[in-house]
Amino acid sequence: MKISVDVLRRYTALPESLRQVRLLLDDLGLEVKRLNPDGHLTLELLANRGDHHCYEGIAREITGRTGGALTTPAVATLTVGESPWPLRLETDLCLVYTATLLERVGEDAGQLTDAQLAPLRAAGLASVLAPVDATNLSNLELGQPTHVFDADTLVGAVTIRLSRAGERAWPLFTAEPVSVPEGTLVIADDVKILAIAGVIGCEESKTTASTRRILLESATFDPVKVRIASRALGIHTDSTARFERGSDPARPLVGAGRVVQLLEGTGAWRRVGESGQVGAWVNPERVVGLSVSAAAGFFGMPLPGEQIVEILGRLGYIAHLSPDDGDTVTAYVPTWRLWDVEYADDLYEDLARSIGYNNTPVALPPVDMGALPSAAELRRHQIDGLLQSFGFYEVFTDGFYGRALIENLGLPDAHPLRAHVQTENALDRAYSLLKSSCFPQAVELVALNQRVKNEQVKAYEWTRTFHPAPQHKLPSGRLSAPCTERRVLWCIASGTDRPRAWLDKSRPADLFFLKGVVEELAVALGLDLQLGPADAEATLADVLHPARQASVRLNGAVVGVVGEVHPSVLKGFKVRKGRPVYLELDEDALLAAPSQAVVFEEPSELHPIDRSLAFSLPPKVEAGLVSEALRAAGPPSLIRVNVVDLFEHEEAGVALRTFTFALTFQATKGQALSADEVNAGCEAMIAAVESGEPGARGVRLRR
Amino acid sequence: MNRPDTQAMLAAFTAALAEASTPEQIEAVRQAHTGKKSEIKLALRGLGAVPPEDRPALAKEVNDVAQAMERALSEASASIEARALAARLNEEWVDLSLPGLAPPRGARHPVISVEEDCLAVLRQLGFVRVDGPEVEHPYYNFDALNIPPHHPARDLQDTFWVDGGYLLRSHTTTVQARVLESRPPLPIRIASAGRVYRNEAVDATHLAMFHQLEGLWIDRGLTFAHLKGLLTTIAQSLYGKRPVRFKPKFYPYTEPSVGVDLQCGVCEGEGEVAGAPCEACHGAGWVTILGAGMVHPKVFREFGYDPNEVSGIAFGLGTTRMASQRVGVSKVALLYGQDLRVHTRLHRSGV
Repeated sequence: MKISVDVLRRYTALPESLRQVRLLLDDLGLEVKRLNPDGHLTLELLANRGDHHCYEGIAREITGRTGGALTTPAVATLTVGESPWPLRLETDLCLVYTATLLERVGEDAGQLTDAQLAPLRAAGLASVLAPVDATNLSNLELGQPTHVFDADTLVGAVTIRLSRAGERAWPLFTAEPVSVPEGTLVIADDVKILAIAGVIGCEESKTTASTRRILLESATFDPVKVRIASRALGIHTDSTARFERGSDPARPLVGAGRVVQLLEGTGAWRRVGESGQVGAWVNPERVVGLSVSAAAGFFGMPLPGEQIVEILGRLGYIAHLSPDDGDTVTAYVPTWRLWDVEYADDLYEDLARSIGYNNTPVALPPVDMGALPSAAELRRHQIDGLLQSFGFYEVFTDGFYGRALIENLGLPDAHPLRAHVQTENALDRAYSLLKSSCFPQAVELVALNQRVKNEQVKAYEWTRTFHPAPQHKLPSGRLSAPCTERRVLWCIASGTDRPRAWLDKSRPADLFFLKGVVEELAVALGLDLQLGPADAEATLADVLHPARQASVRLNGAVVGVVGEVHPSVLKGFKVRKGRPVYLELDEDALLAAPSQAVVFEEPSELHPIDRSLAFSLPPKVEAGLVSEALRAAGPPSLIRVNVVDLFEHEEAGVALRTFTFALTFQATKGQALSADEVNAGCEAMIAAVESGEPGARGVRLRR
Repeated sequence: MNRPDTQAMLAAFTAALAEASTPEQIEAVRQAHTGKKSEIKLALRGLGAVPPEDRPALAKEVNDVAQAMERALSEASASIEARALAARLNEEWVDLSLPGLAPPRGARHPVISVEEDCLAVLRQLGFVRVDGPEVEHPYYNFDALNIPPHHPARDLQDTFWVDGGYLLRSHTTTVQARVLESRPPLPIRIASAGRVYRNEAVDATHLAMFHQLEGLWIDRGLTFAHLKGLLTTIAQSLYGKRPVRFKPKFYPYTEPSVGVDLQCGVCEGEGEVAGAPCEACHGAGWVTILGAGMVHPKVFREFGYDPNEVSGIAFGLGTTRMASQRVGVSKVALLYGQDLRVHTRLHRSGV
């Protein structure tokens, strides 16, 4: 809300400086978002305080703190009698509706004074016509929205009712009539809708410069009904802001009286007869009780009952301290607070606001020994540290994406990656699907970075994916969630394993790089985490390179997948450089698995004996097959088998890969190891490889 | 036998050594003048033929010369080695203007760093972290938290609705509702951190997904003074001993509700710098960092607690906003984007 400090001073005394006014308003929860040197303020008002949406409400809150006097604008006294216009109330969603008829005295339509129009200017509202200005002023000054109809455009009775199916209305400031949702609270005459109740008036009955008679409406409508209508029509006005927070049901005649006061003051308008009223709001006298001792305990400070009564009185309550026990305060809630005051806690807030939130005691509650991070949190920190040490940056991707992103994967309609939970009301089409996989966003990340000439990509994220699940009834009676949530850790790498290297050539950040990451995770976390055969049924199997993917297994169970992004997918995402690799792990499995203790073996003081053997492997024979055969056939002194070199060549038209395996033999105390023994062991291992499965698949020793 | 001329041997040795300037030449001198066939070694071997009365004196003389030669050879070797080493070291100059070659580290996301800092403070106060679903039933997001349908508060958090009548949680308070529903023993001290979603038009400073951290403390006898004490402790643990102020706020699930402001670190509460409104706090002199309040009695009743018996403190920190303030990036969309140049520059200047 935009207000003028000078206008506010008409209602109550304020500090001299604008800075002090700002601090006072902030302290009262009337937060100043903008302060102009000319004394115009923009306030952010609390969502539950409709009564703050006017000068009187703001001033009343100030007097609750300062104890100063509250001066309100002059209001003409209106009396309810024979209605000047036929009124018909067909719904109880309008609590009270009043109508007052005014007619123009002469040709002059009247003009309000500059001083009277000051609140309008501060609010950024243009002066239109005296009747319209007066209704706007009534709302700004007293918080009672009113509306004026050109009485000579009305046909028959004014009826407050719910709209019917197919009805249309022509709201002010719109180019043409619009459909009104059935059941909307409207004001209508016998042929047309005159206004959407609490939201806006309509073109056909609007007041113009030639209007001779106006019917002044002032009412209280159901807040929820106003809010629904406002949202359905996409129209939000100052009146809506006031009504949807609950307006003061005792105030319609006061608000109308202010309009009459202003208009009659111009000398151009006069009342015709008495005011009409339908609906009979009766003050239910909401009473809230408060214990003086409980309030003192709540604030941690002495708070005499008399002081509580006095503060509440300043805020408009009628409060009494029980003479019987001296502890019970009975507070009658003022009509403008009926919508937000219900409990003693609400009174505590009013007391705190009056005393000052910064003027009550401060005490830290007793605390015992603090908690440590959980095992899962600690493990997550370990994983973070390890990934960061490999150059990965943590990123966030949205929990949703659009269909266009999924289309880039080029998958058939029935593919599991196309199964999604959908958002129903996303403002942006890019948010239409809850993500069922992190993979598309990860590849898009590579594409985005390549577009900005950044080819070095190492990113990871802890996030969730959402997978459609049939709903069923829970014991609470509510339906279960439409999806399951899976927590995942994903990483993507592209570019080189070691960016910014100048001395020697970096390797590509390829599948072996990611495999190394998995192996180091296994070591750091003490987990049996290994790559295993690719799972053809895995949802990501089709978007990864068919010959460059593997499952990730924890204690033998699949917990993730690693692989090179499929070339077709790269094409779909317009990734033109590199061969990005992707790793995805199940977070819950990763964080919950117990660590295995390292079995320590003291290094021998005896020198090891090294040998190396080179084997040539035909295409698609795994080096691991040879390593395993060597280990199996090696003597007990064999402690290590490592691949240390690769030589790719061709023999007789067959592409061969020749690997050098470094073998380490270790003598033990009391058991010497001779060169002959080692050589004999090597011969046995060679024989085992060549005569076993590796040999059967074409593996030969390269001599 | 003739008496060996040790002085002549020494003179010849000294002259030869003076000519030697490499380890190989030193070795040649060693072989020639102290080797098996050298004159000094022959003199040593010939001592047995010297009459016994002359032998001790001659032996001493030959030995002294032999030792002098060894010393000279050692010194010459050491000197030459030192020169050679100095020359080699000089040649081994490296150009340290070139960049280091250790693999550069990545980094944690700044929002998670802030989250961890907050959790570290809360853990000291006995809070433990709990988590909950992101796809949530509206009951936990709204109804259980005193936000009925069509309540104006729902405007504050326009919601993503999803299939099946569920929604994407618009605040992490949902976790508090679930914890209260489970009725754990008192005291309850929990912190929930994570992603929340708002169905807003996205721009540089507004996101459809961002992060929050909320805390809940339920026990008997918690007061408004405790609320202020706890929030002051949290604020000053995170930001240092800057003045803190409290102001009225509205949150449907707390009553009273408070906002916690920290004195602006730029203008030190003055609201202006050099006569112009302070840009950091928009002239307010204060920066809001926390929203909080005493748990609303309706929330207690919803979960079967008697609000006359127990009370509670709830608070929330906008970790996204805190991170953007910490790293000096006002366009939070940058922090949530996937341009890794941004993430690199958040941790490494001048790359």
